[in-house]
Amino acid sequence: MKAFHIVNLLIIVLLLIGICVSEELVVSSSLSDIQDRCLYIEQIVEQDETLKTVDLVLAVDNLEDKWDKYESKLCFLVHHKNIQEIGLEIAKIKQYISNDDVGEFRVCVESIKMYCRGYLHFMGANLHNVL
Amino acid sequence: MLTIIIRSILIYFIVLLIYRLMGKRQLGQMQPFELVLTLIIADLATIPMAEVSVPVLHGIVPLLTLVVVHFILTLITKSSQMLSKVISGKPSIIINPKGIDYAVMKKLNLSTDDIFAALRECGYFNISQVQYAIMETNGKVSVMPKAEFAPTTNSDMQIKVDETFIPIVLISEGKIMKENASIAGLSEDEIKKIISQSGFNYSIKKILIMTVDQAGNGYIQLMENEGKTFQTKRLVSQ
Repeated sequence: MKAFHIVNLLIIVLLLIGICVSEELVVSSSLSDIQDRCLYIEQIVEQDETLKTVDLVLAVDNLEDKWDKYESKLCFLVHHKNIQEIGLEIAKIKQYISNDDVGEFRVCVESIKMYCRGYLHFMGANLHNVL
Repeated sequence: MLTIIIRSILIYFIVLLIYRLMGKRQLGQMQPFELVLTLIIADLATIPMAEVSVPVLHGIVPLLTLVVVHFILTLITKSSQMLSKVISGKPSIIINPKGIDYAVMKKLNLSTDDIFAALRECGYFNISQVQYAIMETNGKVSVMPKAEFAPTTNSDMQIKVDETFIPIVLISEGKIMKENASIAGLSEDEIKKIISQSGFNYSIKKILIMTVDQAGNGYIQLMENEGKTFQTKRLVSQ
């Protein structure tokens, strides 16, 4: 095999390793951060009976901003359908704040956490996912 | 829609690059593992092309992975004969001096029609003319005719002939092929000189094709005109 082909092969292998590592880092850090923010929002809701508090509104706004930033990066690496539900649920929780619907709000936050957990599990390279 | 157009162009160039990396052998003489690879690549490339929600990386990563697998399999087949036989198979003699080897024919899942079609493709319409026929690992059949049906060569007839040379295309569709001219060791002026010295008063723009071989045998044809041969000085190739 010519040196040219070996160099090509090495470049491709390094490129593949780079893509795998960056996917692992970007996806896990983004989804873990979203999960942490959801936990924080749940803590605020448990403390106050109403959703119309400054802390909660700020936390949800931050969650939305962060998600917009993460989503633009995740779209390069993840099937869009796998993450679009998270964006939809975030849009819903903003609506529930304006209606002060605590029950639906909690369900939505739990759904976001579940989607993040689900994708993190689905992404891992294990025998279960491979087969 | 614009996204699909851009993605299609991007993936087209990626697939083109992948085929270039795999080498020219891929196109004509595919081994079983190369055929499998070609089929998978064709399928993989279309997914991110048509499905906008799939990241382009989801198409590129499997394609590049297959290139790596292809390189490794090529390396294995070149370095180990035993593994080469496992991956690509080995040539099988389907016709020997006794006739068709029925056991091999059944093993390769061939019918007599398939064998005759392959022989006809090689220019042999009668099986009695064939000494050996070998099914190569890429599915092509090589035929060795019986001595009495083998084409006669100059060597058989003990005829002494001059060595032949590959003609170099100097002008194609009114344009001088600069790279070929450099191989032939000719400048533009020298080409024009050859044309005029050979008795042709043609403008380069009107010449459809002009070739000259190392021995100085030339061929020239004007657009919408019949071709003429000419003799010029021997070329000194670079």
